[in-house]
Amino acid sequence: MFSPHGIKLAVYLISSYFGDLNAKVCECLLRRGTQPLAQVVRFTELSRENVRNCLLVLIHHNCVQAFAVQQEGGFGEAPKVITNYMALFDNIIHKLRFPKFIEIVSEELGKECEEIFEGLLQHGRLSLSQIIDRYKQTSNQGDSSADAARDSFNRLVNTKFVERCPAPEPFLEPLTEEEAAAAKKRGAKSAKIQAQTMEQRALTAAAPMDSLRFLVETDTWNDSVEETDKKTTDVTCGTKRKQDNLESNTELLSTDEKKVLWRANFEEFICRLRHKACVANVKVRINNDAAIVLAATLELSRHSETKLRIDNSVPQSINAIYDEVIKREGGLGMDLERIRASLVELGCEVPLMAIDETYSVDLKNIIEQARIEEVESIVLKRYGREAYRMFRLLSKADRLLETDKISDTTFVEKKDAVKILFKLWKDDFLEMKKVITRGTRQSEFLLWKINKQSLWEHVLDEMYHAALNLRLRITHEQEQEKEILQMPRDKLVGELGDRYKRLRKVRITLESSLMNLDDALMLFHDF
Amino acid sequence: MSRSSEAAAMKRKRPNMDSSSQGLVDADRIVLDVVKSKKNLGIWVAEVKKEAKLAPTVVDKSLASLVKKKLIKQVVNIQSKGRKHYMAVEFEPSEELTGGAWYSDGNLDKEFITSLRDLCLKVVEVLKVATAEGIHDFLKKRQAAKCTNQQVAEILNSMVLDNAVIEVKSTGLGEYHCIPVGSVCYRTASGAASGAALGTGPKTIGPMASIPCGACPRISLCTPNGIISPQTCVYYTKWLNFEF
Repeated sequence: MFSPHGIKLAVYLISSYFGDLNAKVCECLLRRGTQPLAQVVRFTELSRENVRNCLLVLIHHNCVQAFAVQQEGGFGEAPKVITNYMALFDNIIHKLRFPKFIEIVSEELGKECEEIFEGLLQHGRLSLSQIIDRYKQTSNQGDSSADAARDSFNRLVNTKFVERCPAPEPFLEPLTEEEAAAAKKRGAKSAKIQAQTMEQRALTAAAPMDSLRFLVETDTWNDSVEETDKKTTDVTCGTKRKQDNLESNTELLSTDEKKVLWRANFEEFICRLRHKACVANVKVRINNDAAIVLAATLELSRHSETKLRIDNSVPQSINAIYDEVIKREGGLGMDLERIRASLVELGCEVPLMAIDETYSVDLKNIIEQARIEEVESIVLKRYGREAYRMFRLLSKADRLLETDKISDTTFVEKKDAVKILFKLWKDDFLEMKKVITRGTRQSEFLLWKINKQSLWEHVLDEMYHAALNLRLRITHEQEQEKEILQMPRDKLVGELGDRYKRLRKVRITLESSLMNLDDALMLFHDF
Repeated sequence: MSRSSEAAAMKRKRPNMDSSSQGLVDADRIVLDVVKSKKNLGIWVAEVKKEAKLAPTVVDKSLASLVKKKLIKQVVNIQSKGRKHYMAVEFEPSEELTGGAWYSDGNLDKEFITSLRDLCLKVVEVLKVATAEGIHDFLKKRQAAKCTNQQVAEILNSMVLDNAVIEVKSTGLGEYHCIPVGSVCYRTASGAASGAALGTGPKTIGPMASIPCGACPRISLCTPNGIISPQTCVYYTKWLNFEF
C-alpha cells in the first residue's frame, strides 16, 4: 500500500520522536494494515499495556485513527463490533514539514499565532483551555493574555490552519446487501478498491462536519451552546459505546470529552504549499509575469475550492484576476493584455466571446511538468547528458520508440544508445518491449517507453530512501562529534573549534537538503 | 525497374563493362558482376560467396585482385562494422550503409554536429525567434555551414531535447510578426537565467538531484548499517568535506 522506503522513513520518524516501542506498533500497523488491538499485540509481541499506551500516544499525535466495524459473529452468535486501528502515513511524514507549516503561520498571522500553533504541533491535540493556559505561562502578562490567546486562536481557526479533531472512533455501518452485491458483481478488482475505501470511509466518518470543523464557540461561558454541543457528541459516543460489547477498547480513547480538542489542519497547509510550488515552477519555467498572474488566480480560487487537490483552479473572471494582480508586488504595471498573454502561456484559452470572460488554470498539468523536470534532472545527474536527451525524447513522445529512431534523433552512437537504454531500463526508468519480425530475414527490434505512473512511484520511493539517508547521516554526524557537543562553548578553540564549525556546516547542509527534498516528496505524494 | 529500362541500362553499360572486365579470369568476372548487381548497397563477403557459387578461397582471391585493379572498393556498413562490405567503384555508399548525413567513415561525426549546434544556437540568439527554414536560410546566405534544411531541423530537434532552445508555436503577433501563425519556431529558453551557467539542460537542478543519493547508482543496494549505508557513504563524505 505504501512505498517500502516510505514506511521505513515513517517508522524512523516515529522512533526518533516517540521512541522505539511506538515505532514498533506503528510499523506493525503500516506493514500489516489496519487491525484490532489483539492483532497488534500478537504481531509486536509487546504487552497489552504497552501497545495500549503506544496507541494512545499515536492517536494523540494524529498518527493513528481508530474506528469500529461490525463483524459477523460465528455460528449462532450475534455480530460483534470491533475497534480497528489504522496508521495515518501522511500525518507521520508531515512531521518532516512542521518547520514549513510554522513558517506559513508566522508569515501570515504573526508571532503570537505562531506560538500557539507550535504548541499544537508539539502536543498533537489540545483543548482551548489548555491552549490558553499554555499561552498564559509563556507570556506572563496576567489575565489580559487570555483574551489575546483567544483572539489568536480564533484567527488560526478562521484561516483554517487549526481544526477540530476528528471523532475518536467512528462506527462504520456494514455495507447493505445491495452494496455488497454490487461490489461482488464488479469482481475481484473492485474488491481491492473496496478494501481500500474502508480506511477512507473511516476517515470521512471521523471528520467533523464542515460546519462544525472550524466552529469556535463565540462565548465559551454560554452554557446553552456548550450544553447542546456536548449533548450531540455524548449521544453519538454513547451509542457507539453500547455497541461495543467486545471489550472496552474505547477506554483507550476516553480523552476528556467535555472539552473540544483542536489540532493543526494539515490539508490546508498542503493546499498552500501546492499553490506555492505551482507558482515557483511557473516562475522558472515560463516567466515572472505568469507567476504573478497564477499566484493571483490561486489566491482568488483558494476560498472557493471544494476539494483538497483540485485539477483546475476555480474559474475567475478577468476583472477579478486583474484586481488581484495589481495588488501584488510587481503586478502594478500589468495591464489586461499582459495578463491575458500570461494566461495563455499558462495554458488557458482566450474565450471567443468577450462576455463572461473567465479563466481556469490547469494545475494538474503544472504539477506534472514539475515532476517531469525533477526526474529529468535525476537522469541527467545519474546517467549523463546523452541519457538525459533520450529520456526527454521518450517523455515527450509518450509512446513506444525504436532504438534506432532514438539514437538517430538524439545523435548518440547506436552502440552507446543501446547501452544507455539498457541501463535506464535496469533501473526501472524505462519499459522495454521486444518485437521479432519473421520475414525473409528474422530481425529483432527493441522498443522503449516511459511509464509515468510506475516511474513516479519508483522515484518517490527513492526519495523516501534519500530522505531517510539524510536523517540517518545527521544523527551519525552528531554522534561522531558527541564529545564536542557536550563541551562548554568557550573551550571550543583551535582544532576543536574547527570541528565544531564543520559540524554546524554539515548540519546546515544536510538539513536544508532535507527540507528541499521534502518539497519533492510532496510534489510526488501530496500534490 | 521495368524491363525496357533494364535493357537500356544493360546496353549503356555493356561497352563499359566489357572494357573493365577485359582480361579478367572467369571467377573474377562472376564476382565483379555479383558486387555490381548490388549497386550502392554494397555486399557482404559471405553473401558474395553464396551468390557467386564459387569456392570461398577463390572468391577471396578474386575480391583481392579486383580491389587491386580498382574495380571494387571496401566500404563501412554502419549496421555491422565488423563485416567486410564491397561495392563497385562507380557507386557512392547509400544512406543505409553510411548511417546518413551525420556519419563520416562509419562514425558519428561529432565535430560537425557540435559545430552546427553552436551555429544554430547563435542564429537563434540573433534572430530571437526563427523557424527551421529561417535558420537554414540565414546560414546559407552567409555560407556559414554546408547543410540541408533537413539537417538543421534535426539539429534543432535535438537542441530542444537538450533544453537549449524551446519549441513554440507562432502567434503571429509581436516578435512572431514575420512568421505564419501556427508554424513551429524556436527560441532560446527564456527564463533560463539561473541555468545559464549550465549552458544547456534543465533550468533548475531538482532537490533530489542535488544530493548524493539523487546521482547514486547504488541506491538500491544502500541500507542503514549495510555494506553501503548513509553512515559510511563515500559520496556523502566527499559532499560534506568542508575545508577550513
